[in-house]
Amino acid sequence: MENNQADINAGRSAIGFVVGGGLKANLFVRLTVPAQSVQEGGFVVIRSSDWQFYGLVVDLQLGSSDPRYAENPGMQRFSPEVSRLLAHQTLYTNLEVLPALMVEAGPELGDPAYPVWREQHPDDPRPLPIKTVPSHHSNVWLASAGDVATIFGEPGKEGNFVIGRTREQDHPVCIDLDKFVQRSAGIFGATGTGKSFLTRMILAGLIQRNKASVLVFDMHNEYGFDDTSSDTNRSVAGLKNKFRGKVRVVALGRSSTIRGQTPDYHLELRESDIQPEDIDMLTRELNLRETTPTTLDALVHSLGHEHWFHEFKSMTVGDTIENEEGKKVPAPGSVAYWANQEGVNAAAAEGLHAKMTRVFNLPYVIPDANAVPGTNLSEVIKSLQNEQHVILSFGEYEKDLDYLLVSNLLTRIIRDAWEKTTNTFRSQGGKEPRPLVIAVEEAHKLLNREMAAQTSFSTIAREMRKYYVTLLIIDQRPSQIYDEVMSQLGTRVSGWLGDENDIAAVLSGLAGRDALRGMLARLQPKEEILLLGWGVPMPILVRSRRYEQAFWNELLPRGESLSAEQSLKDLGF
Amino acid sequence: MEPIAFGRLLRSNTTGCVVGCSVSQTDAPAFGQMVRIPLEDSVTVFGLVYDIHIDDDGLVRQIVTAPSIKSEVIEDNRRNRNMPVEMSVLFVGYERRNNIYHALPPHPPLSLDAIYPCSDEEIRLFTSEGRFGYLRHLFRSPDLPADDLLAAHLGQVKIASPGGLDESALNEVIALLKDDYTRLTTILKAVSDVI
Repeated sequence: MENNQADINAGRSAIGFVVGGGLKANLFVRLTVPAQSVQEGGFVVIRSSDWQFYGLVVDLQLGSSDPRYAENPGMQRFSPEVSRLLAHQTLYTNLEVLPALMVEAGPELGDPAYPVWREQHPDDPRPLPIKTVPSHHSNVWLASAGDVATIFGEPGKEGNFVIGRTREQDHPVCIDLDKFVQRSAGIFGATGTGKSFLTRMILAGLIQRNKASVLVFDMHNEYGFDDTSSDTNRSVAGLKNKFRGKVRVVALGRSSTIRGQTPDYHLELRESDIQPEDIDMLTRELNLRETTPTTLDALVHSLGHEHWFHEFKSMTVGDTIENEEGKKVPAPGSVAYWANQEGVNAAAAEGLHAKMTRVFNLPYVIPDANAVPGTNLSEVIKSLQNEQHVILSFGEYEKDLDYLLVSNLLTRIIRDAWEKTTNTFRSQGGKEPRPLVIAVEEAHKLLNREMAAQTSFSTIAREMRKYYVTLLIIDQRPSQIYDEVMSQLGTRVSGWLGDENDIAAVLSGLAGRDALRGMLARLQPKEEILLLGWGVPMPILVRSRRYEQAFWNELLPRGESLSAEQSLKDLGF
Repeated sequence: MEPIAFGRLLRSNTTGCVVGCSVSQTDAPAFGQMVRIPLEDSVTVFGLVYDIHIDDDGLVRQIVTAPSIKSEVIEDNRRNRNMPVEMSVLFVGYERRNNIYHALPPHPPLSLDAIYPCSDEEIRLFTSEGRFGYLRHLFRSPDLPADDLLAAHLGQVKIASPGGLDESALNEVIALLKDDYTRLTTILKAVSDVI
């Protein structure tokens, strides 16, 4: 049976029928159209009795009634007509379909039983996780635009963000942004697979939706201002330039510029901002010893939370004086002197001081006395609470130490602030806290197995959903991220991944991961992505939207201008 | 014009029969030809000629040893021979009250029932009913020359059908035999040569 490809793609023409399978082994569908009409990742619909089943094509297999029919082409022995008929009956393609959802669709519209069924089901039935299988010989179609909208939502509906289109049929596929921000999410893909563009689009969608504030740790200074694509050398629009006052670009350091442009404000860390736990989190980066927590604890106890860093920084190392007995002893003001006074191992304290020199010398960590108003961490918190979005660019500070220290410290403060606000809201009522999404690039640096247990990020991934804070993890090595964090990710968006461990990490905890494994390894870089996890009703492969002018034209129609009131609010007034 | 019977039944069973006739080479039924045998109870049995058997007799044995045989003698022996030409017919279906059934007849024809060649119209009527399900009878017995019989029969069907051979005939053959690779490919090779 030869079908018109347009009819196949529009879901008007069946592509095959069910021949076997099960919930665990997937369903097998005998294809009745040319194999090239369907591709891995295709979204298919199976109609069986009053139920409609939705699934994903995870494999295509060539088969034959007898292997000899496949091994010996008949063209040489038989007439073309006989060869064609023989091939049609003895050679075939089977689809392996991962069943995901089922909906009680009821009888067909024209069926006499339909009115009775409709009366019994006044509301449209919702898709349910797959619990049974369609019967033998049930017809299979490629999903129509209506089917895609039934499962993934109407493109025009508020909160639905078109992230891409189905590959064969070109139907728009949405993610529900309100649901997306309810749990932590991840964007993965090997380098050069379009991860940054995808992140830009999702961030743009979140900012436009404006139901949550977004904080981006922009390690490579690429999200705020316009950039140039390293692949195409074309200009790439930055979020600041598109959303103007809604987005605040913050640069680390007093005189930093971002790609030659002046940020909205600069961020400097007061010495009093830095707490022992911030140093603890740098254990691997600074190669700190096991004695560090004890020494830090003593510093805080003796010098106070606000002053320990400044005082410790001011101490000298190795200075000695002669005591009354003529022996050399640590001079007052030295690390050893302080250690002896506090009963701390002097060598350990001096070692810590030496290793913390890298932190002491950071230009953006300044004494409280030298602080310039409007450049501290509270400005960032204030912006986020005022429904603005912050892109923290690291400017020239691109070392891991900068990224680890600043992101950890800021996240810790955010965590404290949002916990406090939420607890107040829950106990005393008032304004509900504004949801916050923290986008973390190179997430494996902060969320690897060694670090994850100590950082605020892992706490956010595990627990902060209740406090309106979630993570958006962006990474190319998901296998390096702590399993416990990965398991908490609600929505996973992945481009091409080559490494087996990375693929396994992205699919961890998901049903049907064995079937999806090969699909991730065969995605077309820069073109195709796989949507997975709690945030989407079922896994689906889509052709990603292009990050180009057309995207912005759709997201921000020309007629949509900010009101004067909103503009002032965006500017922080 | 009423068709002329070319023979009468010698013996039969439910799956086939043997017919005797004295026809010459020009009007003798061909191998694979479709024939019909009307029965008394409004049933017409349809079959395919799958074997044509010419036995010798005492006179032929004597003549064949002669150093030279006159053409008149050969002609006389063929026209007036005592031993009939025997044709084996495989039953493939029957008609009762204008309904065609691709099944074995309810009972076999009786001795001396007349046998007629099928016209093109009769072939079309018989083959257009169903989807060539009667072809299964050809593959029932391993003793039948199924490949050449099928080829000859389909050749006749093709000639009788204005639109050529319906591909569902070959589809039916493939469906019946696709689990027997060797047999199917042998049969399809024979069929490829005639259609």
